[in-house]
Amino acid sequence: MQRLLVAVVIALPVVTAPLPARGQSPPADQTETAEQIFVNTCGFCHQAGGRVAGRGPKLAGTERPDEYLINRIRLGKEGAMPAFGRAFTESQLRALVEYIRSLKDDAR
Amino acid sequence: MTTKRGALYLAALATLMVVATACSMSDSPGGMGTAGAAMTEPGGNDWTTYHGSYRSWHYSPLTEINADNVKRLKVAWVHHPGRSTRGLQSMPLVQDGVLYYTGSYSRVWALDAATGQPRWSYFPKLNDDLVAAQTHSPYTRGIAIGHGKVFVGTVDGRLIALDQKTGQPAWDTKLVNSEKLTVGFTGAPLLVKDKVIIGAQGGEWPGRGPIFGVDAASGKKVWEFLTVAGTEEAKKTWGGESWKTGGGGGWMAGAYDAETNTVWWGTGNPAPLYDWAGGDWKTSGPRPGDNLYTTSVIALDPDTGTLKFYHQELPHDAWDFDSAVGEFVMLDREGKKLVVHPNKGGHVFVYDRANGKVVNVWQLTKNINFVKGIDPKTGALIGRRDLPLGKHTNLCPAIAGGMSWNSGAYNPKTGLYYKIGQEWCMDLEVIKTTPVLEPQAQLDIGANFTLRNPEGGKAHGHLSARDPVTGDKKWEVTFPEPPLASLLATGGNLVFVPDPRGMLRAYDANTGKELWSHNNGIGHNGGIISYAAKGKQYVAVATGWGSLVGDEFGALFGEPYKSMPKDVGALVVFTLE
Repeated sequence: MQRLLVAVVIALPVVTAPLPARGQSPPADQTETAEQIFVNTCGFCHQAGGRVAGRGPKLAGTERPDEYLINRIRLGKEGAMPAFGRAFTESQLRALVEYIRSLKDDAR
Repeated sequence: MTTKRGALYLAALATLMVVATACSMSDSPGGMGTAGAAMTEPGGNDWTTYHGSYRSWHYSPLTEINADNVKRLKVAWVHHPGRSTRGLQSMPLVQDGVLYYTGSYSRVWALDAATGQPRWSYFPKLNDDLVAAQTHSPYTRGIAIGHGKVFVGTVDGRLIALDQKTGQPAWDTKLVNSEKLTVGFTGAPLLVKDKVIIGAQGGEWPGRGPIFGVDAASGKKVWEFLTVAGTEEAKKTWGGESWKTGGGGGWMAGAYDAETNTVWWGTGNPAPLYDWAGGDWKTSGPRPGDNLYTTSVIALDPDTGTLKFYHQELPHDAWDFDSAVGEFVMLDREGKKLVVHPNKGGHVFVYDRANGKVVNVWQLTKNINFVKGIDPKTGALIGRRDLPLGKHTNLCPAIAGGMSWNSGAYNPKTGLYYKIGQEWCMDLEVIKTTPVLEPQAQLDIGANFTLRNPEGGKAHGHLSARDPVTGDKKWEVTFPEPPLASLLATGGNLVFVPDPRGMLRAYDANTGKELWSHNNGIGHNGGIISYAAKGKQYVAVATGWGSLVGDEFGALFGEPYKSMPKDVGALVVFTLE
């Protein structure tokens, strides 16, 4: 739990900072926060912003390590989750993980 | 039209229509058999187009299997296509004793319809990296047949024609830049005369949702109609540059009215799916305006792709209740030629086939509050519930809709329309996101949401038998979870419902009494047909579970869905013992 709290504290400033818009070569005036990326793309399955299970599992409070989460987002899972490796940049992938870490796990 | 006299009238009219149309269609697509006439009206032994016939009744007139003997229905044969990711969602077709169907990844099989023995198979080589990146995949919901060919769309944006006897490719045409847009084809094509018509996925994917007309002989693209801003008139209904990324699409097969040479097609919702402008959507937000021709039924000339007329069922759809779902049930009643089309939001629209004017609108599901109502005379929405930035509770129906993509059925003998309704709601929070200005490989949603039970009750589903024009209900059967597969009506006074727990059930078409059931061991979210081969009647159903709707069931309903596999499926075929 202590490790998670540290991660959240570190992550929060990053989560709210603007990121390049989706796509490989975004125009300079298009920026999105990790929360916006999540709501537009990931929230279709990970409901309530990843706080509860829906089509996909609940993400708040996940104990999966960062690299596991990044690889899952990048590569997907056949028949269950699309691969987003060609959609997001490395910085966007890391920001999404930081967003997930920032989610309050009310069930705990 | 529930009277005996009305049923006889319809039956007589149907017979006349078969004869008249068969005589008049000089360029019938039959090819290997009598598919031209069978496509226009429900065929005797065959099932030659996705919706059963151009009339979209999902009805077989066969009577060997009937309400009196259905208790003797047993499994005749089973076919496992392998690699059934997200289950089998296919609607099989049958012609001249051969059954054709698709598995996941656009795999096509031709089987002896009486024994299940394979005649040939075709597995297209797909772009695996692209398929892995797709949300709505890798299922393929059906094919078209005619002119001696089998036509299948692929999830990587191609339309392929196979020789109907050998399965060898005749042509392979790339229609969608799926590498850029991610979306491709999951819906069945529709064969109309010498054209193969197919719509691309769209909806919450930023693009312009094309529908194509392709020459059946050569594979050459003849026309393309863009469901987003496909005309200058439509472009004016998209503020700014939003028309470039408006979603739309026509991801399920439409139908054809041979009398007026008109193709009817339903279109997907606009992108982004939710709109933070709320009630100010006409002038602000990511896609200001009505957003034509999304969430509409459109009438196209099959020869040119020219728009004849349209009706937008939900102007500026802000709820993902698109019109791409839903069969086009074509009826003739009291001198009027009508088409009945269910919308995902839970209302059923009845149109004049000549011009698309609204004749009636009726409500199928109980839990609807995204509008207070829809004017039955004009189709105008009354009391819209637009969703500005922030949290909203108990929006009904939920994003999965009051009705889903699989089809209901109509029986001309009973005059009843059989349709599944879905009762569920959701809470959501609309969040302002950066507008997507270029088509790209991304979803565009705009809200967080969670499905929930309706206030004062539990989420559930129901099968009801109704007058298709007035909506008057004759009987209803409730299910603890909404069935997601297509329905089948037969001349044997039966309605078949493949349910989500894995039971295939047969009901008396007049009373709703359950007469028979069989456990297929896995949920259903695909097609079901009936046909005859070598003198016997069969019922074929696609089994297997997993879809963007079915994937909600685990969290909402628990078991058996939490543990239900999403990588198996088989074609199970029944006959009388």
